[in-house]
Amino acid sequence: MSAIESLHARWSLDAGRHQHVVFIVEGMRCAGCARSIEKAVRALPDVESVAVNSATARVSVDWSGAGRTGLAQILAAVERAGFRPVPLAGDAASGEFQHERRAALKRVGFASIGMMQAMMYLTALYGTSDIDASMSALMRITGMVLVTPVLFYSGAPFLVGAWRDLANRRLGMDVPVAIALLLAWLPSVVNTFRGQGEVYFDSVGMFIFFLSVGRYIEMSVRHRGLTSSEALARSLPAQVTRLIAGGAEERVAATDLKPGDRFLVPKGAVVAVDATLGDETGIALLDESLLTGESVAARRQGAERIRGGSINVGAPLTLTALAAVGDSTLAAMVRLLERAQTERPRIARAADRAASWFVGSILVLAAMTTVGWMLVDPARAFAAVLAVLVVTCPCALSLATPAALTAASTQLARLGVLITRADAVERLARVDTVVLDKTGTLTEPAGRVVDVRTSPTLARERALAIAAALERGSAHPLAAALREHARADVVAKDMREVAGQGIEGIIDGARWRLGTRGFACVGADVADATTYLGGPDAAFASIDVGAPLRAGARATVDALRALGLDVIIASGDGELAVSQVAHALDVHAHSRFTPQQKIDLVVALRARGRRVFAVGDGINDGPVLAAADVSCAMGQGSAIAQSAADLLLVHDGLEQLPRAIGAARAALGVMRQNLGWALAYNLAAVPLAALGLVAPWLAALGMSLSSLGVVLNARRLAGRAP
Amino acid sequence: MSIAYLLVALGLGVFALAVWALFWAIDDGQYDDLEKHGESILEDDPPGP
Repeated sequence: MSAIESLHARWSLDAGRHQHVVFIVEGMRCAGCARSIEKAVRALPDVESVAVNSATARVSVDWSGAGRTGLAQILAAVERAGFRPVPLAGDAASGEFQHERRAALKRVGFASIGMMQAMMYLTALYGTSDIDASMSALMRITGMVLVTPVLFYSGAPFLVGAWRDLANRRLGMDVPVAIALLLAWLPSVVNTFRGQGEVYFDSVGMFIFFLSVGRYIEMSVRHRGLTSSEALARSLPAQVTRLIAGGAEERVAATDLKPGDRFLVPKGAVVAVDATLGDETGIALLDESLLTGESVAARRQGAERIRGGSINVGAPLTLTALAAVGDSTLAAMVRLLERAQTERPRIARAADRAASWFVGSILVLAAMTTVGWMLVDPARAFAAVLAVLVVTCPCALSLATPAALTAASTQLARLGVLITRADAVERLARVDTVVLDKTGTLTEPAGRVVDVRTSPTLARERALAIAAALERGSAHPLAAALREHARADVVAKDMREVAGQGIEGIIDGARWRLGTRGFACVGADVADATTYLGGPDAAFASIDVGAPLRAGARATVDALRALGLDVIIASGDGELAVSQVAHALDVHAHSRFTPQQKIDLVVALRARGRRVFAVGDGINDGPVLAAADVSCAMGQGSAIAQSAADLLLVHDGLEQLPRAIGAARAALGVMRQNLGWALAYNLAAVPLAALGLVAPWLAALGMSLSSLGVVLNARRLAGRAP
Repeated sequence: MSIAYLLVALGLGVFALAVWALFWAIDDGQYDDLEKHGESILEDDPPGP
């Protein structure tokens, strides 16, 4: 419990009274389990939302800190529901993985050896009538001795799961399985002692073996889904060496680092938090592959931001922390990934509901089969009922989508596209219109000042210095272009930003405005440009900032068109700059759009039945990204845009977008195939089993193969060349 | 026919032995990472003394 408490301190978003925690639950098998955990936690006071993902076994809880509910109560509620909460991230979780994996492997191994041995003895009884009675008894007893431990060791998860389902008054997937196992095993034991009648020990052994193999594969899929964010979270060092006044050093927990602290990063170590070199001279060489997938070392100097999670591959560094651990780039990315993994996508929720309904119908059908065969041929009733219970496979239904989604997110991660919302893959696959922002998306974020025209009273250098002072500290690409023109003696005070319009501030006692023409240069006669500066005494300037097109912008637009998508540019920049880009790319473009106009455009497109994919970068894009069906932020964009986006492009590889859409379409295709296959299999197999045409062992094989087919079909995606 | 009883007992003994060996191997971590050890042969030896 203490591990979870400390983890909570580390990863929870504690925004005042609102609290949030994510943890893993052991023993989760299916959607039914997820629902009972949700119900148990939701019953607590002050809990705002609970999300449980049955595929990744993650639980995410939001609650208000009114004091009535704490983490301890939430964990206790989960335990009361019959599950064990396990802390997420770090060594604890990987230890749990190892434990779970080893236990599952032992069950599979034990079932496989036991099944083969039992089969060897029991085949001696097949079709022979002249066998010695004492010999026949010996074979049956041996089979019982071998299979009974297999049932209660390897089959334990199913029996326990079914018991838990029934104790919670619901129908899970384990219920028909456990009934079938006990229904085959009990009469076999009775018949062994009676010395007559059929025994089904070989079928029981084989069934458990196939089932445990299925469970093992399911577990591997779940573990793999966790690895991407696990790798990120685990990579942060727990302790750092902090420099204190007088040059002394001390070891402190990484969580104790505060902005402004100076700390040492030896060669080969991971930078714990976002930091800069500050006043230190020299160049830092950093491997950012963990964050961006880019393997070439990045160079950083002076005040440039070094992102937490990058590895120092150059000389030892002394860095100044910019943020606490919880606020660093890495922590934000981990939280976004975690959110994606705790939400269950809509298509999976529908499949879960169907599976639960399905189990109920199977039990009814089994009862009808019993009655039917009792009337026709009581001797065959038993085998037929067994086959009905065994052959149906709600597992394939529930596994169909999570397996495909896991494979798709693995493949997207390899392309450098991180998913931050569970629904993103499905929605990305359906888009038909792309709305692109220009600056920072199609063009390089850092522009250059191309042209400046000023009113007679204003010198060109002074205009640029004032503009640079106003933009100082802004995340807008314009600031980067102006930075080289900044002068130390020109400083702006009382700055105020008007979203989509510009920025204003006091310089040398006068008010200056920088932004759109209507905002900065009312009534002035200035040339068309990207940005305008206006000040006292009719001092005006128009500043043209151009940004080069990103490499691959043209190829990306062409590839998007080849996928059948409409491409539209919506930019807040002036006509001149936008039309250049639009012309170069041969794309329909809207210029000088305010954020509200961009949102209106997206809303209007959606009203016409279009499914809109918005790609953006700047602060102004946050609401636009949220308004679209699915959205993508460039990884270096501002934090607001990232948290609103469904996808993150981690190393600005624009040309990955068409590939990501292709991968998402393939994943949706596989999901449909899987659901169709699972449905078709069950519809075909159940009537055959009810008619007594399927032997119990064949039913066990069919059920396991149908699950396996679903998983392997999804694995195809991960194997596809990106 | 008493040889059959002996053989069955022997078979169960082999079964127990196989299960014990498997469980020992799993607990020993031999199945934890199936790729790592195979690839380790390609890595350079640490520099000798």
